[in-house]
Amino acid sequence: MNNLNLEVKRGQVFGMLGPNGSGKTTTLGMLMGVVNPTAGNFTWFGEHPSHHIRKRIGAVLEHPIFYPYLTGQKNLELNAMIKQCDPNNIPQVLELVELTARKDDKYKTYSLGMKQRLAIASALLNDPTVLILDEPTNGLDPMGIAEIRQLTRKIAANGKTIILASHLLDEVQKVCTDFAVLKRGNLIYSGPVAEVGKGSETVSVVAEGEAVHELLLSFAGTSSLARDNGSFEVSLRDGFKSRDINQFLFEKGVVASQIVAKRKSLEKQFLEILADS
Amino acid sequence: MLHLLKIDLKKMTSYRTFWVITGLYFVVLLFGGLSGMEVLKWLKRTFEDFGGDLNINRIPLYHFPDIWLNIIWVAGLLKIVLGVMVITSVTNEYAYRTLRQNIIDGLSRSQFLFSKVYTNVLLSLASMFAIFIVIMTTGLIYSPNTSIQWILSDIEFLPVYFLEVFMFLSYALMIGFLIQRAGLSIIVLLLSPAIEAIITSNWIQDYAPAIVGFFPMRALWNLIEWPFPRYAFQEIKDYIDFKTVAIVVAWIGLFNYFSFLKLKRSDI
Repeated sequence: MNNLNLEVKRGQVFGMLGPNGSGKTTTLGMLMGVVNPTAGNFTWFGEHPSHHIRKRIGAVLEHPIFYPYLTGQKNLELNAMIKQCDPNNIPQVLELVELTARKDDKYKTYSLGMKQRLAIASALLNDPTVLILDEPTNGLDPMGIAEIRQLTRKIAANGKTIILASHLLDEVQKVCTDFAVLKRGNLIYSGPVAEVGKGSETVSVVAEGEAVHELLLSFAGTSSLARDNGSFEVSLRDGFKSRDINQFLFEKGVVASQIVAKRKSLEKQFLEILADS
Repeated sequence: MLHLLKIDLKKMTSYRTFWVITGLYFVVLLFGGLSGMEVLKWLKRTFEDFGGDLNINRIPLYHFPDIWLNIIWVAGLLKIVLGVMVITSVTNEYAYRTLRQNIIDGLSRSQFLFSKVYTNVLLSLASMFAIFIVIMTTGLIYSPNTSIQWILSDIEFLPVYFLEVFMFLSYALMIGFLIQRAGLSIIVLLLSPAIEAIITSNWIQDYAPAIVGFFPMRALWNLIEWPFPRYAFQEIKDYIDFKTVAIVVAWIGLFNYFSFLKLKRSDI
């Protein structure tokens, strides 16, 4: 990592984005005490890091890790002993991730989705102040991804601070409040998710007619025009809104069948940020 | 302290391999120790095949006070089995990456090490206790003189046996932390006495014979000596000398310290 400086506040759902190899897992590894930093320091909750503080944090880094020959229940009991928390929390976290039926089966018999869910259950065991999820949907099928998304939202709604490292920018945009982008060990962007939508709008226009293309190009508010599968993607200049393009087309005698104002997607901004750096 | 031991035992007690290996170890320890007379009888028959004669009644295998050294020396041969178990326990944590998850979950690296060390202590104590049972049982059965001072004489071999097993397990633990792969670690463990002998006999013996006794495997060898030559009218060392004990204790400290250093420095 190269001079990484980051601050995560309580209550934020903080997304860590970046291409593979950018240092997300390494950073999280340093925070959780498994990777030794060569230089620099960090604090958790304003306090010097120690293994006691790690007990107040629930983390799933990269892959779920458990003892294959132990049952789900026993794995959680072991974790409760390590975290020094009440083992009576176990039934409710199992309930939350819907693994109660499989708790007495050996971990090695679980499917990947169940393993991920057990990992989240384990992270939630001590009712942690911060939850760290590193690519929680890694390798899951669409149903698994949807389940994890719902779970993450439920946990976020309960006020937990979550640090989420993910490639699913759609998820990050929906769930996170703030995000940071890493590339090859450098922090290249950090800011709130809400600001992503600001600025220029893109309008998707579907209209019949031969001259529509030239017409749209001639519109004062068009900064760029692209054709996408039957619709025109019009990037608007600052100050122009979708109603302006609607009015313009109508005045020119063209009735559009579809005008959709699209919020700028995180994916687009992410790719732009990476391309700029 | 008990908390850390409980954590490691929770990992081990549901692991079938653990029960098989330690089960076999204690079964062989107990029954092997009790079968000394059968070995002697076999020896007698072998001698008779060669036309000689061996009066086994004159070999005080199970007689106090000789019994302490005799049985303890034989029991010491089995420590390799426990060593393999300890290596498996540590290398599994690397193979499954559960060491990483333990640290993430809030165990400190030194706590992790201590949990393994306490298990070693437990195994060493259990071995000592098992051997005590064997010796008291067979001694009371076979020994002609069972007065208290005869029983208690030479009993110092028993706590020294604890040190022997504990040092060997500490060594196995360190090998496990350094090499991190089960197969290779076990081979290194098995070959350690041989490797050390090669080093000492080829290079050290000629130039600095005094330090030979400081090598770990040699120190273990010196601690509890092969007792049977005394029945062929040879002198053996049937006592404990403090210098060797000190060397063994020092190695116990060093091996566990090296394990700690390795654990602390590496990325997991």
